[in-house]
Amino acid sequence: MRKPRTLARTALAAGAVMVLAACGGNPTASPAAGDAVGTEASGPTEAEQLYEEIAGLSGQERRDRLVELAAEENGLNLYTSMNADMVDAVTEAFEDEFDIEPSVYRAGSETVLQRVLQEQDAGFPGNDVVETNATELMALQQEDVMAQCASPERIQEVPEAGQYEDWVATRFNLFAPSWNTDIISDPPEVWEDLADPKYDGQLALELGDYDWYMALTNYWLDQGKTQEEVDQLWADIVDGAKVVKGHTVMAELMSAGQYGLASSNYTYIVEAAKAAGAPLETQPYVNPIIARPNGGSCMKTAENPATAMLFMDWLLTEGQEVLAAAEATPSTAEVEAELIAVDGQKLLDEGSEWSQRYDAGEPGRPLPAPPQTKE
Amino acid sequence: MTANLADPAVTPEELRRPDDDTPEPRAARWRWPLTPKMFIVAGVAAAIGYLALVPLGYLIWGTFFDAQGLDLGSFQRAYGDGRMGELWGNSLAFAGGAALLSITVGTTLAYLNVRTAVPFKALFFAASIVPLIVPGILYTVSWIFLASPQIGLLNAFLEPIFGAAPFNIFTIWGMIWVEGLHSSPIVFLLMVAAFRSMDPSLEESALMSGASRMQTLRKVTLPLVRPALLSSILVILITSLESFEVPALLGLQNGIYVFTSRIYFVLRSYPQDLGAAGALAVSLLAVAVIGVAVTRLLAGKGSKTYQTVTGKGFRPRPLDLGKWKPVVGVGILFYFFVTVVGPLLVLLYAALLPFYQAPSWEAFASFTFDNFAQVFEMNSAARALKNSLILGLSSAAIVMSLMAVAAWISVRSTIPGRGIVEQLSFVPLVIPGIVLGLSISFVYLRFPLPIYGTILILLIAYCTKYMPYGMRYASTSMTQISAELEESAMVSGASWWTTFRRVLLPLLSPGITAGFIYILVVSFRELSSSILLYSPGNEVLSILIWEQFENGSFNVLAAIGVLMVLALMFMVTVAYKLGAKVGLRED
Amino acid sequence: MLRIDNLVKSFGGEKSRGKKNAASNAAVFAVNNVTFEVKEGELFTLLGPSGCGKTTTLRSIAGLEKPDSGTIAVGDRVMFSSSGNGRTVNMPANKRGLGMVFQSYAIWPHMTVFDNVAFPLQVRQRSERPSKKVIAEKVERVLATMQLSEQSGRQATKLSGGQQQRLALARALVIEPPLLLLDEPLSNLDAKLRESLRYELKRLQRELGITSVYVTHDQVEALALSTQIAVMERGGVVQLGKPRDIYEQPANKFVAEFIGTSNFIPGTVASQRAGRHCVETSNGILYLESASQLPVGSEVVVSIRPEAVELSTTSRGEQAANEWQGKVVTRAFLGDAVDHVVAVGEHEVRARVNPSVSIESGTPVYLQLDPSKISLVPVN
Repeated sequence: MRKPRTLARTALAAGAVMVLAACGGNPTASPAAGDAVGTEASGPTEAEQLYEEIAGLSGQERRDRLVELAAEENGLNLYTSMNADMVDAVTEAFEDEFDIEPSVYRAGSETVLQRVLQEQDAGFPGNDVVETNATELMALQQEDVMAQCASPERIQEVPEAGQYEDWVATRFNLFAPSWNTDIISDPPEVWEDLADPKYDGQLALELGDYDWYMALTNYWLDQGKTQEEVDQLWADIVDGAKVVKGHTVMAELMSAGQYGLASSNYTYIVEAAKAAGAPLETQPYVNPIIARPNGGSCMKTAENPATAMLFMDWLLTEGQEVLAAAEATPSTAEVEAELIAVDGQKLLDEGSEWSQRYDAGEPGRPLPAPPQTKE
Repeated sequence: MTANLADPAVTPEELRRPDDDTPEPRAARWRWPLTPKMFIVAGVAAAIGYLALVPLGYLIWGTFFDAQGLDLGSFQRAYGDGRMGELWGNSLAFAGGAALLSITVGTTLAYLNVRTAVPFKALFFAASIVPLIVPGILYTVSWIFLASPQIGLLNAFLEPIFGAAPFNIFTIWGMIWVEGLHSSPIVFLLMVAAFRSMDPSLEESALMSGASRMQTLRKVTLPLVRPALLSSILVILITSLESFEVPALLGLQNGIYVFTSRIYFVLRSYPQDLGAAGALAVSLLAVAVIGVAVTRLLAGKGSKTYQTVTGKGFRPRPLDLGKWKPVVGVGILFYFFVTVVGPLLVLLYAALLPFYQAPSWEAFASFTFDNFAQVFEMNSAARALKNSLILGLSSAAIVMSLMAVAAWISVRSTIPGRGIVEQLSFVPLVIPGIVLGLSISFVYLRFPLPIYGTILILLIAYCTKYMPYGMRYASTSMTQISAELEESAMVSGASWWTTFRRVLLPLLSPGITAGFIYILVVSFRELSSSILLYSPGNEVLSILIWEQFENGSFNVLAAIGVLMVLALMFMVTVAYKLGAKVGLRED
Repeated sequence: MLRIDNLVKSFGGEKSRGKKNAASNAAVFAVNNVTFEVKEGELFTLLGPSGCGKTTTLRSIAGLEKPDSGTIAVGDRVMFSSSGNGRTVNMPANKRGLGMVFQSYAIWPHMTVFDNVAFPLQVRQRSERPSKKVIAEKVERVLATMQLSEQSGRQATKLSGGQQQRLALARALVIEPPLLLLDEPLSNLDAKLRESLRYELKRLQRELGITSVYVTHDQVEALALSTQIAVMERGGVVQLGKPRDIYEQPANKFVAEFIGTSNFIPGTVASQRAGRHCVETSNGILYLESASQLPVGSEVVVSIRPEAVELSTTSRGEQAANEWQGKVVTRAFLGDAVDHVVAVGEHEVRARVNPSVSIESGTPVYLQLDPSKISLVPVN
């Protein structure tokens, strides 16, 4: 029942404001890629050669060839930060379709990144596919350990904000304000409303949502607000706000009435609580919705490269519906609301500064000026 | 000048003999390098050194060096924050308060459980451990539901009497309360071991000398268990300084920041600032090294002060409470009602609801077992439970066996460098879990044997992580055993290993059992290194909990918590009963 | 049976404890050049105050302490031998096969009485280990000797003090050791029990004929039990001999003081022939016999045991030898004797006399001193 509703109300507006700097940036120019990781010195890996070979194919021909090659391979190793329900749905559907049961490592996105980096550094081919948050994927792209492997036709379907050099978005995490309907009778309509003193004592911020903070700040600046105005808005938001840690707890405490308004919860968590009967609401959405791309890619060191490609192709086609059914927002779906995507490259480059600034913005203190936007 | 020296306790001569604990002359130790003793002692020392130095080396390397060489910028990044003073002030107040509370509560409960004739001892024991079983996040949120000014049930109940919101959990007091109670089982277990190894005649003689019960407690009982008290203070101080769950959930609401929030931030962004995390951990390391040195000094070799398990007439026997019995009984009931039953009821209540709401007929009507059903339906729940059991039992067994020998090395032997063994065993306590995980994966990704990707790597991580606790439990008990008990076995012709096995191990059983229970319980919720190191197929329970916390439903989380409490209470009771059957028996 | 030669054991000077002691002193000699021999069947006592090195000596024999140098041999087995720099022999404690009773008994509280006693047999090497049946027989036998048969199955900690002491002894004796070491075994008992166990111990030792080394600081115990006594002071043996010799002929002031109470009067040897000394003291001339023949003019201290002093209100005559005049200062009734303190010149002399003699304080009295019971202690 829930799937159509979520999907129906989310359709991508053609003129979505992309706060992204030039999409994808210029990863090779990044100086941070210190030590050469993995295999680049020794030319293309076997997996890369296969990706190259398959890249020319499309449509059913491509699918058939991959299925054929995958049959000779040894399953699929997937590292992901999808939640349990989502990943269970995805792997079950994939197995139903191809009779291949992926073995899955699930962890937080930072942990997935650490795991992949450690393994790659040691030359241990632990996974074939990685599926996680934009920030971490940008880091992996910088380390040059992934190879874009999804079908170009499918990548076309993903909005530009989800297309990167080495990876492609498979789903979006949507940040939107949510509220307890028993407490809040006049929910916010635009982001600026969060600064309204009437929400003092009722507003909660999440401790780690600095990506949301960065995207919203840049959105406001792009809209023509001055730095002072933005600083003032944040100061007013932070004033009288509570800080909580964890999105699940954020929803739970709100449904219990600890506070009435959550500034930046994931919509799927709120929807799930709402479906269970909690007096929570996140719609009508405050526009624009801030979307953080989550994506995936194949590893250059994949031991099951054909299966990896097959999985990525599938995740961007049939898999999209499976994701939607599991409360996620698929990357190829049309979203009704206005979306601004969190800029992965920017997160990678400036993330820790934004994180520190967000951390410094404890209640009662104005946030210091954000870093100068790099062009 | 002569006859009155027949003092049965400690003669000056004994105190003066600096080497009189030597179970065997030094030359013997080095002259027969192929004895089993040599192998075991060297093996254990090597194991401890290895387990401790892997993460420590990794941490130091990341803290002081970068690609260019020596780099102290990490200290600037870690401490160069204008709020550092405030953060440390909050942290110290929080950790100090929590230590004080948990020591008071843990010691009182242990005393009542071991030294007095309270009813339902096994149940009492298990109930005292409950706060340890409940994962920190659940315990903390339960307290939010109980004592939040906005939605606290206790506040709602007591409002008619005391006016609006008598309790506010979102204060430094609330943080201390929750952390202190949550840590109290660590103290409880340590003190249970210490009290079990104490001859009540020492107290009875004080009572006979006209001391009141309180005086006896203050002047005789507590000084005798000083090593255990010191160990408790040290462990609780450091774990509270490191703790982030409670400060994050309770403190942040009102802007009470602690210094671990720095670690949280430097470790969550990319690239992970291991250097800054390490720089912060260095402070803790300093606290730990000094603390261990102080405990060694106080409970050190040559001092017979704490050797309460002696070779004459040692009879563990409970004291009668006399007229205090009803008072104590009511006190215990009240305590358990507040700290155990209250939060557990809230958890159970939450576990039965589809979403949390204040209690009402409506809420009761919506009770459902869906959350429990969901737990049992989880794909990997059975496998995770099995893995957690295997890991918990085996890491507890391995750590306690290693640490029993290590405690002997540290407390009894004269081997040069024995103090280093104790210091090293304590090191993992100050290493952030994620750093521990990273260092272990770093090593085993390059290790010739296929350990990476198997359950063994988790076992190694657990053994490393719980080594400090195991050492505290084992060495505290070891200081209580009179050296003559060991020497008499040697003179009787027993080899070192036979002596260890047949005399020391049984006498150490109170400490070993307590340490075993502790490790078993906390290993079930170990997350920070498990999450990095597990592989498909060897998931553990804490991973499922984390998933529910990160992306799922709090109510399912509550259901898992309730199930964990039931399962572990059962296991703790069994372990307690088994532990009471070996070694020192009560009358 | 047991030979100890030039045993030296020091604490402090060594590397391991450098930090604490290096500043204050180089090395403390706990045992300094101790030599003695214990013959088959003897009960040999090491007697001395706390810190004199007697326990360290005993522990060195047991193998619980490693001496710096010296030799320890039991029968023809060398337990320890080191010349200081050459090859060192040091048999570990568990290979020496001796029996030892500890001051605190060191009874294992987690075992039954039977298990405690059976332990030394059970831990023998497989090839030497008796069968279970033999072990049980031996244990039962030694428990019967110690009158503990009825307690056999009980938890060891439930025994009374005296029973625990006997248990510790049973455990030490069960392997029928060539040498039994006892470290103040009676010091934890109350006075009455101590006395009865003292005779018990003596009886057992005589019946079993077991060679024993006994450590105590209680001179009464030592005198009552021993066949030989070595009095130790500051790490060295100051006198070695039979109990009576030591009591009556203390080698120096320390021994005399330590073994019971004594009166000490300084003086000078006026003449000497074949051990018959004439000593001039401030109270008058004293005649006495002493094995040590001291030259005329030697500074000495005369040691007079209180019981060697007779008191009388009447003089034995103008020229009576060894008679001093004094005045009773105070007296104390002890039950089996009466102690008098008598002022003689500038000294106070303690006299212990038969209870039938009791003289009020203030009364002038004559002190008669038995020449055979007065000993000479040289002043070096």
